[in-house]
Amino acid sequence: MDSPWDDDAGFSSEAEWTRISNEFTNTGYREGITAGKESALQEGFDDGFAHVGVPLGHELGILRGIASALYSFLSSTSPAQDPMVVEARDIASLLANIRFTDIAPRDLEAEEHARQHLEADDNTLDMNEEVEEKRRMEELEDIQARLVRLRNCATQVRKHNSTNQKFMEFICAVTD
Amino acid sequence: MAEAFDLESLVHLEQTFYDVGHEDGFAHGRIHGLIEGRALGREKGFEMWEELGFYEGFALMWQAIYTKQGRDDERAAHHTRYLLDLVKQFPRVNPSASDSSDLDIPKLFRQIRSRYKALCSTLGVKPSLRATGTSPPRNQTDDVESERQSRQVWTLEAPETKKPPAQGLDF
Repeated sequence: MDSPWDDDAGFSSEAEWTRISNEFTNTGYREGITAGKESALQEGFDDGFAHVGVPLGHELGILRGIASALYSFLSSTSPAQDPMVVEARDIASLLANIRFTDIAPRDLEAEEHARQHLEADDNTLDMNEEVEEKRRMEELEDIQARLVRLRNCATQVRKHNSTNQKFMEFICAVTD
Repeated sequence: MAEAFDLESLVHLEQTFYDVGHEDGFAHGRIHGLIEGRALGREKGFEMWEELGFYEGFALMWQAIYTKQGRDDERAAHHTRYLLDLVKQFPRVNPSASDSSDLDIPKLFRQIRSRYKALCSTLGVKPSLRATGTSPPRNQTDDVESERQSRQVWTLEAPETKKPPAQGLDF
């Protein structure tokens, strides 16, 4: 064959193949993610509800309820300064300070998955603490680098100024 | 013949690519759905049962006090028994999963709250934090409020359909 057509055709069909492959695989992936997520949300909700939220909330709620009843009972029978009343109130207010995030167990599966995203060098996910810290360190390094640059600049400016001054003196001397 | 075969396979080819991508994406999306759903469910389950647990603990304590004082037949003791019984009826799993459609959750929640308030007024105690934390405890508007809230809690459909595509899951 004297024409380069065959090579061209081969090349472009390969490119076309890749293009179609990528395009459709990506579209499928995107839509699959949405569908998969929707399919699992309720399951996850029910799981977290029944196995973490309810037992923890129940336990803390009972403690708070008992503390509250104890406090109102004691304060109805004893003066407010009574140590027992004070202690009951302290317990109640300490219990009131507990937040869910203070006692919630870690979602290890979620952390593991976030780590996988991290290893895949994929920044589309919300950042966890490690990433956040890393980012802060990087920012710090940036600031340091900028500081060094600034200092260099300042030295140069100073040098420059002194050269300028010498130059001015020279000009003055010449023009005088 | 050969042409027909080529075209056919091309059509399938695109579908095949799509299917492969979809399968991978679906598996990945499932993980994210489970994670996000769990976070949501934990929060809601905690919120509801912290309140219910409060009523339960409150009633348990007063019941113990009244028993100790030998006042089991008094009005307040009756209220505590009734309140404890109501809390016991409350499901500990999301009803959408167990499909106990005969249970009227908002109504039960309303009954529990008003029973708690009745107990408080019999005891001469101010109905504290719990009811105020989630809804104003004093008048009838409370019922509407609590109903609205517990509905929001128990049906995930609304946030579920709203949320997923917005999150940064695309690659």
